[in-house]
Amino acid sequence: MKIKEIFVTSAFTQNSVWKQILGICSALAVTNLMMNSLVMGLGVIFTLALSGFTISLIRNFIPKRIRMMVQTLIIASYVIIVDLFLKANYPEISKSLGPYVGLIITNCIIMGRAEAFAGKNSPFESIIDGIGAGVGYTLVLLVIAFVRELFGFGTLFGFQIMGDWWTKWSIMVMAPSAFFMLSILIWIINTPKKQVG
Amino acid sequence: MNNGKKLFRDTRVYPVVFMLIITILFIGILATFYQLSLEKVETYRQTVLKKMVLSVFELPVNNIDKNFSKYISMKNVDDLNYYVAVKDSNSLGYCFPISGSGLWGTINALLAVTPDFKEIINIEIVSQNETPGLGGRITEDWYKKQFQGKILIVNDEVRLFKMIPENEKVGIGEVSQITGATASSKAVVDMIYKNVLKYKAKL
Repeated sequence: MKIKEIFVTSAFTQNSVWKQILGICSALAVTNLMMNSLVMGLGVIFTLALSGFTISLIRNFIPKRIRMMVQTLIIASYVIIVDLFLKANYPEISKSLGPYVGLIITNCIIMGRAEAFAGKNSPFESIIDGIGAGVGYTLVLLVIAFVRELFGFGTLFGFQIMGDWWTKWSIMVMAPSAFFMLSILIWIINTPKKQVG
Repeated sequence: MNNGKKLFRDTRVYPVVFMLIITILFIGILATFYQLSLEKVETYRQTVLKKMVLSVFELPVNNIDKNFSKYISMKNVDDLNYYVAVKDSNSLGYCFPISGSGLWGTINALLAVTPDFKEIINIEIVSQNETPGLGGRITEDWYKKQFQGKILIVNDEVRLFKMIPENEKVGIGEVSQITGATASSKAVVDMIYKNVLKYKAKL
């Protein structure tokens, strides 16, 4: 497979969130601020790319029966590295993301890519696939966060957009709005395809 | 043993050995990363704390380490840590960590009081896990500032604040609570009441 094809497939045509409905939990949790979503997205891209690479590298040595254990261990290690990196270098962001960085481990996308792609393809292709899936996930996060932060806080990336006249929508700050936004997004993206098919 | 041609990969021990090796390898990598970041994390934590202590006494926060050692001294009595601020040989007051349970988790804060414990100088939220945009607004300036100069102790007893709705003018002995975050607002005043007498008895 060509590199571009792998990227487009995992980022758009087979997008983890709107096509495979994976990684929903974190998409609901961190999308109240653009900055949090971006950092979360970068963390997931990093973890996906490197765990994919590592798993692919040792794919011929992993005993089949314990492959999930090995995958979890590798994924968890990279997530902890991301967490430590943020704590040491970007403590403010680390604080606002709270436990969600650690919870990247439970993000189904990563395990999903490890099982579906990295276990069968070359290390380099796995990196591309991981970055693709991560970018697709980050895009969804940013779109939802854009709406939630704008209506909920009147800001974007912390910059004031709305004036004093703006009444903040408390619902947008809380988790339920993420459910609404995510389902609307999935609905919009998947509707035209259904009509064609 | 008699099947000499059997590959090591096919034995029952192989998965165990494999898992063991990979676990040791990754734990090694993580331990290294942890050690490398430990110092930075600790330095940052100390700096943030020092800055907060300085800011509750409204002392300059531009040169944190220097100003901290100039104005603040750390004390400890019966395992209770507290800070004393002295400026131009006048005691500004005491500052001590307080904590209480909020809606989602523990709220940690610093409370600064006058040397006679009667008045609140300032309060600063160190850490909290309240709902962002609702209970999380206890970290906003308008909320914390309303505690400045509030009478806390009358005749050796805590005087309870009257909670009034947000956007109403705050009078003497009154404290605004955040709309939609009654539990978080209550948690903050409760932890002030709870801790202040404990420290007053010791100092």
